[in-house]
Amino acid sequence: MMRSWPSIAAMFLALGGLSAVAGYEMAPPRAAQWHEIAWPFPRDGWPAGRAFRCGATECGADVEVYLRPKLGFCNCDGGVADDDEVDRVSDVDMISPRFAPLKAGDVIDVAGMLGRIRAYDVEMRGGMRTAIGIAVSHRCNLMAVAAQGGGEAARVRRAVLTFLQSQEIKNWAVVAMEGR
Amino acid sequence: MGGRVTAVCCTFLLVLLAHAASAQQPKIGDPPEASNMRLVGTSDLQARSAYQPTIHHQGDRWIAYIGHHGGTDDIPDPVNPMTGKAEPNGTSIVDVTDPAHSRYLRHIPGQEGKYESGGAQMVRICDGKDLPKGDRNAVYMLRTFGSEAHEIWNVADPANPVLVTRIGGLKDTHKNFWECSTGIAFLVSGAPDWRTRRMTQIYDFSDPAHPVKIRDFGLPGQEPGATGAVPTELHGPISTGPQGNRVYFGYGTNKGGFLQIVDRDKLLNGPKEPTPDNLTFPEIARMPLSAMNGAHTVFPMLGMPIAEFVHDKDGKSRDIVMIVDEAILNECGEARQMVWFADVTTETRPMMISSYTVPEASGSFCDRGGRFGSHSSNESMAPVYYKKLAFIAFFNAGVRALDIRDPYHPREVGYFIPSITAATDKRCVTIDGADRCKVAIQTNNVETDERGYIYAVDRANTGLHILELTGAARAVAGLP
Repeated sequence: MMRSWPSIAAMFLALGGLSAVAGYEMAPPRAAQWHEIAWPFPRDGWPAGRAFRCGATECGADVEVYLRPKLGFCNCDGGVADDDEVDRVSDVDMISPRFAPLKAGDVIDVAGMLGRIRAYDVEMRGGMRTAIGIAVSHRCNLMAVAAQGGGEAARVRRAVLTFLQSQEIKNWAVVAMEGR
Repeated sequence: MGGRVTAVCCTFLLVLLAHAASAQQPKIGDPPEASNMRLVGTSDLQARSAYQPTIHHQGDRWIAYIGHHGGTDDIPDPVNPMTGKAEPNGTSIVDVTDPAHSRYLRHIPGQEGKYESGGAQMVRICDGKDLPKGDRNAVYMLRTFGSEAHEIWNVADPANPVLVTRIGGLKDTHKNFWECSTGIAFLVSGAPDWRTRRMTQIYDFSDPAHPVKIRDFGLPGQEPGATGAVPTELHGPISTGPQGNRVYFGYGTNKGGFLQIVDRDKLLNGPKEPTPDNLTFPEIARMPLSAMNGAHTVFPMLGMPIAEFVHDKDGKSRDIVMIVDEAILNECGEARQMVWFADVTTETRPMMISSYTVPEASGSFCDRGGRFGSHSSNESMAPVYYKKLAFIAFFNAGVRALDIRDPYHPREVGYFIPSITAATDKRCVTIDGADRCKVAIQTNNVETDERGYIYAVDRANTGLHILELTGAARAVAGLP
């Protein structure tokens, strides 16, 4: 019986370590860990939006998020209809025109606006990366969110969603959707 | 003392500025604003938001068929005074034989829904005697039914239309084109499995009672199963028929638009499976607009003699396509949407040669309320105006008449901005979280008939305005 103590202690230590690692990986990154960067895309039909980056140390993966309102770009009554609409409007094509969805998207709420989120593989010059496309709407206006990261899709998605739930971003989204 | 004078002057200036701003706000009872155009008659269209008017010479009568958007938040289903019932906006049928005394004949309800989500926006007409296998006594009206279907009605008796055919199961519809001499219809549809809201479905409606599907068409990337970026959605095509053998497609609304020139024969008879190669096969050229402009209407005017080039050994006449963008945001909330002229004489190298917009300062249109910018042009190719004058619906700047005989230098020769009425609906923008609304005319679409009357309809429920040219503008058309 006495001889089993070391193995029991080792087991607890191992479990504790695993839990700590898991806890660290699951911990939502704080908005403060993100920093704003210059809008990295050339001018297109919509004015430039805002871009943010979070490093692997803080977010578990290098992630960049691009957000911009698209005023007058949504079905005023029906909102974001389906995954095809996310493919079309979420700006994932700015990251790379060659992207393929990983699976069907999900319904999402960002700053009180309903829409859809979908994950993609995107083909980049340096190899494949993960992208997240989000389209949410308010009346006839749309908030387009695209993100890219080096990690697995679930981790990038989690980091992006946590970022979008920050009060600073929610406040900005509400104002931006009014064209201010 | 000097301070008091300054204060008085500043106050006076402020009052003057405030008055100038309010002077631009239309009021009920204000007269229309006009130059070389005159109001002949009106119809209130039961205060329904209007899209496409099509005027048809039917026996000894002239009938206007007018498509409508859905209802408004305040009045989703206006009451039809002829039936006493609340009816979702659909199609208005108006006898305009005497344009000064038009008679509203019938309202055919459309799809339930508000604004762009309901109604029956589009309408085209073909006589049965012109269609290869049509009933010679019939007059057929092709219309959209909201976003879910296309319908063909027999309107030989325009007061008592009869449904002939319905093609449903769609996720959207829009600005169709129908060749009356062949029956080929280019339907703007949202096929459920395509990745875009609006693409082309081509049908043989030579016998409207028995439609035959020819193919689906769109841009590579829009087809079922594709991945990656999805090209801009279709707005509407115009075909030159088997003789011209071209179909001009306009893509986009107020952004990322382009003109696509397509070989009609290859489109109809080429490989039909929607693969990227097969979708590219009939394309002759694609001309992008700025990312800040879209293409609502692409109106071909081929073989236009250009006076300035008359002594040139080559290029005396040019093939021109007029491209009209659509403004969609109220109070100038976007880049200016306007009119462009493309020289497509060398089809594989189309080139933009000129443009036209209403000068904003001529009416402080950004402050008037609603949309300011172009939406659509007349599409009649009747000789009275074709290649001479074009009429542009410009929302709160009304309808504008352009002398296009030299498309390298289009010139405005007339305009008409209707008066608002009690039926004119408000248009709002959000300021500091609250709606700030104004009431202004929103001339949305315009069409002409062979007699030379101009039919302008209003998106903000003001109805139909029937106009005629006067003065110098009338002289351009050679009208007496």
